[in-house]
Amino acid sequence: MWARRKISVVESQPGQWCGTAIILVTVMSACAFLLSDSALPLLALANLPMLIQGSRLGSLKGILVVFALQLLMTSLFYLLLYGWQSLPQAALVVFRLLLALIPGWWLSARFAPEQLGSSLARVLPSKWAFVLAATLSLLPHIQREAMEIYRLQCLRGAPITKRALRNPKNWLELGPCLLFPLLIELMKLSRQQALAAKSRHFGTHPKPTHWQAPEDL
Amino acid sequence: MTKRFEFSLQDALFIGLCATLLVALKGMLRLKLGISGHTMLLMSFMYLTCYGVVGRLGSITLCGTLAGLVAMALGVGKGGPMILLKFALPALAMDVALLLVMAWPLKWRFCVLVVSAAIAWAGKVWLTNMLAGMAIEVALIKFAISVAQGTGFGLLGAALAFALAKRLQAHDLLKMNIKE
Repeated sequence: MWARRKISVVESQPGQWCGTAIILVTVMSACAFLLSDSALPLLALANLPMLIQGSRLGSLKGILVVFALQLLMTSLFYLLLYGWQSLPQAALVVFRLLLALIPGWWLSARFAPEQLGSSLARVLPSKWAFVLAATLSLLPHIQREAMEIYRLQCLRGAPITKRALRNPKNWLELGPCLLFPLLIELMKLSRQQALAAKSRHFGTHPKPTHWQAPEDL
Repeated sequence: MTKRFEFSLQDALFIGLCATLLVALKGMLRLKLGISGHTMLLMSFMYLTCYGVVGRLGSITLCGTLAGLVAMALGVGKGGPMILLKFALPALAMDVALLLVMAWPLKWRFCVLVVSAAIAWAGKVWLTNMLAGMAIEVALIKFAISVAQGTGFGLLGAALAFALAKRLQAHDLLKMNIKE
């Protein structure tokens, strides 16, 4: 639900492109800051295909809202400090920020999150790659746990029902009633997971093997 | 990696779970609060809790880096690789500040960490604005507003983390000692 992506129309491609794309995106974002003003139109031209493909895969709304807010704030400050004649300069600054934003936005629209995750895991040490994979797969469990704690606390009469939360005075109750038990649950979960992994000899072999989904074989 | 920074699997998993929870909560709260800076509330709470439970130097940086990676893997935010910096920089600043205030009482330690994280958080925005060629006065005003917002929200998060640390110690679940 937090990965608010439209379903991709393009067939998912092998992961090796993803690593290249991450490097490309980083370079293009850096270029937006480092290039001189005269080279900016060229960079904008290079960003155009990304913008077109990205807008077909996901929605443009998010990036437009960020752009509009930035433009509004920045030109307001420029107007107050330097007067009317500085407005083109403000627009140029915001344009540079937009150019830095577009490649990253395209990356998250073009590649499925798990592709990004798996290409990142390749450069991590195996222990931290395991931690990343384990915590990501535990996310639905954490969510279920949180819902359970929430319902139980509501039954207990804690003032965190939807109705009670309309009063901002009750917002602080969310900490001790929901967040603290959830964190204690996470401590328990990490202990169990570590025990489970250790009893399967995790970390004792110098060359760990990876489980592969049947369709990858 | 030196022996000093080797974390046990349990600690590593807890750090990872904290990072995942941080990103998940951030993803859920993103649109409901329009004010920038509310990320600092979650970030300071999670990072300080992580530090409180693991009780080691470096745990906050690891939590920040993992949170950045998880955010990329879950597709939260539009930053792409930039989001890694967004999570990792404040965490790194917290760990650097921690080197200086290691012996202070926990309450003041938390406050210093939050201020350093807010400066790093706003500093990233300042740096990108400066690199984009924004006038220095405008960038400084934006920087000051960001630091103020970040510190305010961050202190709220730190207060929550402190309350949690006290409760965890009462149940003997904390590895470090809280000096009042």
